Amino acid sequence: MSSKETKPSPSESTTEPGALRRFFRRIDFSKGLAQFGVLVLIMLFFSVAEWLVTGRTSFSTSFNIIMMASQASTIAIAALGMTIIIIAGGIDLSVGTAIALCGTVCAWFLREDYGAAVAIPLTLLTGVVCGAVNGMLISFLRVVPFIITLGTMSLFLGIGKLLSGSTTVRPDESSQVPHWLSNFATTSADTTILGLPPGVWTLLAIAVLTYLFLRYSVFSRYIFALGSNESTARLCGINIPLTKIALYALAGFFVGLAGMYQFSELSEGSPTDGVGLELKVIAAVVIGGGSLNGGRGTVQGTLIGSYLIFVIDNGCTKIGLPNHLTDITLGVIIITAVAIDQWRQRRLERS
Amino acid sequence: MKRFAVLLLALALFGCSEANHSGTGPNGEKIYRLAVIPKGTTHEFWKSVHYGAEQAAKEIGNVEIVWRGPQLENDRKGQISVVQNFIGSVDGMVLAPLDSQALVSPVSQVVDQGIPVLIFDSGLNDTSKIVSYVATDNYKGGALAARRMGEILNGEGDVILLRYNEGSESTQQREEGFLETLKEEFPNINILSSDQYAGTTPQSSLSKAKQMLDTFKNEVDGIFAVCEPNAAGTLQALKDLNLTGKVKLVAFDPNAELVAGLSNDSVHGIVLQDPVAMGYKSVKNLIAHMQGEEVEQRIDTGEFVATPENKDEERMQELLHPPQFGE
Repeated sequence: MSSKETKPSPSESTTEPGALRRFFRRIDFSKGLAQFGVLVLIMLFFSVAEWLVTGRTSFSTSFNIIMMASQASTIAIAALGMTIIIIAGGIDLSVGTAIALCGTVCAWFLREDYGAAVAIPLTLLTGVVCGAVNGMLISFLRVVPFIITLGTMSLFLGIGKLLSGSTTVRPDESSQVPHWLSNFATTSADTTILGLPPGVWTLLAIAVLTYLFLRYSVFSRYIFALGSNESTARLCGINIPLTKIALYALAGFFVGLAGMYQFSELSEGSPTDGVGLELKVIAAVVIGGGSLNGGRGTVQGTLIGSYLIFVIDNGCTKIGLPNHLTDITLGVIIITAVAIDQWRQRRLERS
Repeated sequence: MKRFAVLLLALALFGCSEANHSGTGPNGEKIYRLAVIPKGTTHEFWKSVHYGAEQAAKEIGNVEIVWRGPQLENDRKGQISVVQNFIGSVDGMVLAPLDSQALVSPVSQVVDQGIPVLIFDSGLNDTSKIVSYVATDNYKGGALAARRMGEILNGEGDVILLRYNEGSESTQQREEGFLETLKEEFPNINILSSDQYAGTTPQSSLSKAKQMLDTFKNEVDGIFAVCEPNAAGTLQALKDLNLTGKVKLVAFDPNAELVAGLSNDSVHGIVLQDPVAMGYKSVKNLIAHMQGEEVEQRIDTGEFVATPENKDEERMQELLHPPQFGE
């Protein structure tokens, strides 16, 4: 539970060192402030680079900044759920195919004329069930989450293919998909509210709720305890299996939402559309300061991490960097983030 | 430490992108910056498209090509991001949509921002906003395959059509073109089977082709495989069952083994597309449109059949081994 509050560093009580140094000591990665600084720096870098390379300034327009937010929202929603899992010391590799399964469920029920009032709740329910299945398998089989979710990754992909008949499920866009859903996360002018697409507002609202949940709820205490030290948590009287099932099911709700975002973006459902997505989701949490050792991770950090992935993609496209350099850049940033995190951990242990 | 890391990263990125272009060329004329977006960047076909696009850019002079595909092949979301990310930073866009439906709304977003879009290789469901559609006529390609088959079999015999995959539009048109042309022009050719799907990989095609060929091995005279992975699997199946030469194979799109097969009597015809022309005509026509000229709605880039007889002709060699960008 160490990281929820910033540990006052011993130097703060003394008069030395200077204010600036104290300020930098205070910038704690678990609070997301440092990540925000990095994000701003990288965005500044791309603004200048685009101008230098192409003579244009389309990166730093509000249109582009909002568009990146709407592109990032699918990953960001799923990454919020993943943050909860990672705080609890778990991992979910099945998140990508589960998102695609949820998107396929959404498309299938719309195509079969059940309407959005049925399709959306069932999409969310699918996500919760996927999460609960993960949680139950992890608890009852006592196998590490990495292996279980590696298995369910393939399982969800298979179920998706079964449901879709191994092809893409396309509801008719004009008659079967409600207007609000197909424009949920796009930046087209007629559906935005105060400049932002409804999908981005929903993401922000969910992020606030998740923040409050992680900060004030009793259940979140259990999650932090579980991730910090499972045996201690057990000795404290926490029902470990039940907690795990509940938290994976909760994260599954986020996956269901992400599935809805994905459907809205593609206006069709395909079970293979989520392959590889899990890596982006996990990367978002890790860049945001989440620790795969458990016990640490924040909402702010995860949101910034998700946004950063799309900023890099967008910026590299604007400059005209070839594909392989985008991959390399993202890889360097992920490793840098983890390296800084490790360095900070060691510094905390020393002090 | 972290500031240092960011600085390093910034330097690394600057190092990679030193070229300095502005909106105008050395003589003050406008430079058109065009995004060319393939379905993926690793397949040889796209490298030839890239070559053609660069050829056109070189010819016109004041055109800069920005070549960028989705990070992964078949990544629809990735391609949508690429399309959106170019808003504001290019003057025009040439796109091969991975999906005829999912790309409709991003394309309209781009067009609404004043950037003209030309579609190539595969169609888009809504063509109301695009400049033109530059592609192979797949129906005609299928018809060519049927005529080649009729020619090899002298107008009579039994053939199998091995389909590709459910829901793939381009191959469906090839299949239709093949079946309808056979029916009309070669009434004495009997179709043994036309309802089996080989799947998307050479592996799945191999097992399906084996099943089919084994079932009909006493009657079958010819087989048409509608795309490259499909034909690769079928050729392997013919070899495994010792049927090469006895069963005539007509393929669609080349690979090294299929081309070699033309010389050793295991492949009897390959329908060819012209990826270089696809890249070339796409860029040419988009620029023409941007300079106010009228452009045709649908531009065919041509279909050809390579046979053991004509394979050494210069034009066929060009199509069998199309030049690739970066070679």
